[in-house]
Amino acid sequence: MTESKKADSKKKSVSRRDFLKGGTAAIAAGALGVYALKPETASATETSYEPSTGYIVYDNRLCLGCQSCMYACSLTHEGVASPSLSRIQIIRDAPSFTKYPYDITMSVCRQCVTPLCVQNCPTGACHIDSTNGNVRVIDPDVCIGCGTCIESCPQRPHRTVWNPDKEIAMKCDLCVDTPYWSKKGGPNGHQACVDICPAKALKLVHEPPLQTDVNGYDVDLAPPPPPPRNFMDFLKPKSDDNQKEGE
Amino acid sequence: MTGGYTGKILRIDLTSKSISSIDTAEYEEFGGGYGMGTAIFWDLAVAPGEWDMKDPYDPRNVLPIMVGPLAATGVPGSGRTSICGISPETFPTCEFWRGNLGGRFGTMMKLAGWDGVVVEGKADKPIWINIINDKVKIEDAKELWGRDTWETQNRITSMVGGQTRFGEEWHEIEGTYTTTRPEILCIGPIGETKSRMAALITGSGVSARIGGHAAVFGAKNLKAISVIGTGKVQISNPEWVLEARLHQMQTPNAFPIQPGAASCMPCLKADRRRSNYYGGETMCACQGWLGSNKASDSDRAAEALIKYGLSSWSAHFHAEMFSQNIPGAPAFFRGKVPTDSGLGWYLQYLKQEGLLGPGKEIDSYPLPMDQWGELSFRQAFLDAIASRTGIGDVLAEGTCRAAEKWGRLEKDKESGALRLTAWGATTHWTMPWVEWAYAYILSAGDPAWHGFMAPVGKPREGTLEQSLEKLSKCTIPYTDDIFMFNYAWKGEEAWKTGIYSPHKAKQVAWSRHYSSFWNESMAFCEMFLPELGSHSPEMEIMYYKAVTGKNDSFADTMGIGQKIWTLERAIRVMHGRSRDKEDFFPYMYMPGASGIAIYGGVPIYENGKWRNDLCRDMYLDRKGVDDFKNHFYALEGWDKEHGWPTKKTMEKLGLKRMVKTLQNSGKLGTA
Repeated sequence: MTESKKADSKKKSVSRRDFLKGGTAAIAAGALGVYALKPETASATETSYEPSTGYIVYDNRLCLGCQSCMYACSLTHEGVASPSLSRIQIIRDAPSFTKYPYDITMSVCRQCVTPLCVQNCPTGACHIDSTNGNVRVIDPDVCIGCGTCIESCPQRPHRTVWNPDKEIAMKCDLCVDTPYWSKKGGPNGHQACVDICPAKALKLVHEPPLQTDVNGYDVDLAPPPPPPRNFMDFLKPKSDDNQKEGE
Repeated sequence: MTGGYTGKILRIDLTSKSISSIDTAEYEEFGGGYGMGTAIFWDLAVAPGEWDMKDPYDPRNVLPIMVGPLAATGVPGSGRTSICGISPETFPTCEFWRGNLGGRFGTMMKLAGWDGVVVEGKADKPIWINIINDKVKIEDAKELWGRDTWETQNRITSMVGGQTRFGEEWHEIEGTYTTTRPEILCIGPIGETKSRMAALITGSGVSARIGGHAAVFGAKNLKAISVIGTGKVQISNPEWVLEARLHQMQTPNAFPIQPGAASCMPCLKADRRRSNYYGGETMCACQGWLGSNKASDSDRAAEALIKYGLSSWSAHFHAEMFSQNIPGAPAFFRGKVPTDSGLGWYLQYLKQEGLLGPGKEIDSYPLPMDQWGELSFRQAFLDAIASRTGIGDVLAEGTCRAAEKWGRLEKDKESGALRLTAWGATTHWTMPWVEWAYAYILSAGDPAWHGFMAPVGKPREGTLEQSLEKLSKCTIPYTDDIFMFNYAWKGEEAWKTGIYSPHKAKQVAWSRHYSSFWNESMAFCEMFLPELGSHSPEMEIMYYKAVTGKNDSFADTMGIGQKIWTLERAIRVMHGRSRDKEDFFPYMYMPGASGIAIYGGVPIYENGKWRNDLCRDMYLDRKGVDDFKNHFYALEGWDKEHGWPTKKTMEKLGLKRMVKTLQNSGKLGTA
């Protein structure tokens, strides 16, 4: 755990067992996921938070559906390759054959202006990391695995992710804490998913994007269109008189 | 098990309905994917000596469906699935052969905890295999049999995928979670009726279009394999995987990414499509199957092809853009010789010669010949094959068997009308890239390996000689022999340093060893790696070490490649392979054999000088090919008379345990 997290963690002496035993929330880890609460049922209160200085925006049309970002996320954070442990989820509608561009859903944490995951966390594990640009993060050492943040997340699928091995919740921290990657992360550093995306369909921005889309920040990141070309052009050398003769 | 392996291989006997597992460690010496599949096939189908391996539909045919250690690790382009076994597709005999496919089936298999699945036996009724992590069930496929590949996948998804809404919810599997759906490998109606041209399909358009093993699925009453996994793959050094990727990404993508592009999982190259075609995913051969300029019709034809589960390659209808006037070609080509020639070209020939049509020598019923080239013709073509109606029953057996049935095999081979390079396989890029052509005869059909095409082409900078010298540094262990890339095909130079020389044998051997290890077993898409002259072999080793943690040198891995290639050879030898059977169709020895050349053609060294040449007039010499075989067999350690691996070779490559089987059959090569 980083020093900043330690400083920011509003640790409460509540264990997961105590929490569940006390019946503070009618949920259990085994009931996560499919049965997420609707946003309005989350116990939001009027609290203001310092906005994050980093947000990942994306362009759904550019996404290749290759899931490289998911592998990058689990590799850097967990040291294993596992899309199920990725805090970004790229979901391809195959084999249901929905037409482009509805065949891919990009599920990226919004670093919400009002983060219900932070607001509802009973232990302070899910908190605002003020020394790392106010990124909304979960301290794994403090998380008791109650699942409240998962229940509270208003996006579908929820951006907070259950780790069944550690029995804790995880969320996108803009790579503030990546034990298996030596690059500096956070809003002023690198994000593994952004760096690794071959399509440049992900991008870090520092100003809060428009909040109109509750699912995420789907923006236009497409490069200028190339001039029209023939299917075989990529096979040709740059300049080739010999080839012309062959055609 | 770490280093990219899950540690276990699923083994399913459909006859006894027994489900067990094989320890991956037993086969780790073969790398993974096809290498492991080949060794498993040897152990289960060859070594027991109870089966002559002649009939691909025999329940004793074993199908290893294997993934490599690099799959589902974040290493790009490495998630391909290999399928091998006795192939119904090859002609005149059903050879040991392989196909492979991309998409996401292989990566999902790893995430479910399996390095592969080996299918044996035959179910007594249609079934499908349901794999959910370590839970495996054989399910009744009564409701799926007869359905197309999309409907099959959708129905299985609704059965396996739970009640979650796509893209909106996590799906729970025993306390673990995923947002993805199952990945399904299945056959369509054409596989069910055992057409030798059937393809295995996954997703909306990914197919294993070489080998015809989908027909073996049909013979085994196996409709589909569904897999969903929520697990993880342990790798040696996660950071190295990312750093290797970032290193490779410094080179601009050959396929500039625009909205609507797609790729396999996970890849750097966006050579598939999300747009236009429903769900995308098909490759050029599928998209061009109609050969029409009407994009919408081509897309719909591709969709039908995939839904029926037909191989776009076995049932290839050539595209005009790959045709050109080749000097000396027979007149019936009418100045348009197809580079990619197969069934489509042959039917066109029979039609133009007045041999094929309603009431003609070859009755075309029920094909609407007046709609040739139209979408409706392709639809009727698929229907006829799937239902084995009329001419469809003959076409389902593939081009050469159809020609044989019509009594035209020998004469159309001799005339060059049957323009299929060897083993009845559709002609791909065989000339002027002769290493590709030689691989046809030495294996069992189209190697589908483009590795040397661009690197030996006209250089973008510097002289050709400089470019080839640089290339010759990459081809470890056969380095610093620039004449490996000499395509001189006539005169003294062809035998001295050209395509019939010991130098060419090294290039062919390198391509087979590389492909056997890196493309078939580490499962790198051959359109992704090698990148000779730029990233190879540096990239391969970077990824390999990051995942496996092994300190093998590139030369070591090429040694494993030779081992796999030689074991494949040993299987074929047990099956009946010998020198005399490794020959081209007659057209390869006739003027007009060459095809369209791209990348500026191939290097020719003559009269002390190098030049690039399109070699449009190239064709082979029978004695030259025979001499080439002498050089190649000697280089590989196979005996000159039969092309059988010798005891010394087998032992040197670590295949000692296979020696006795060869020896007992009298098929061990003598030095």
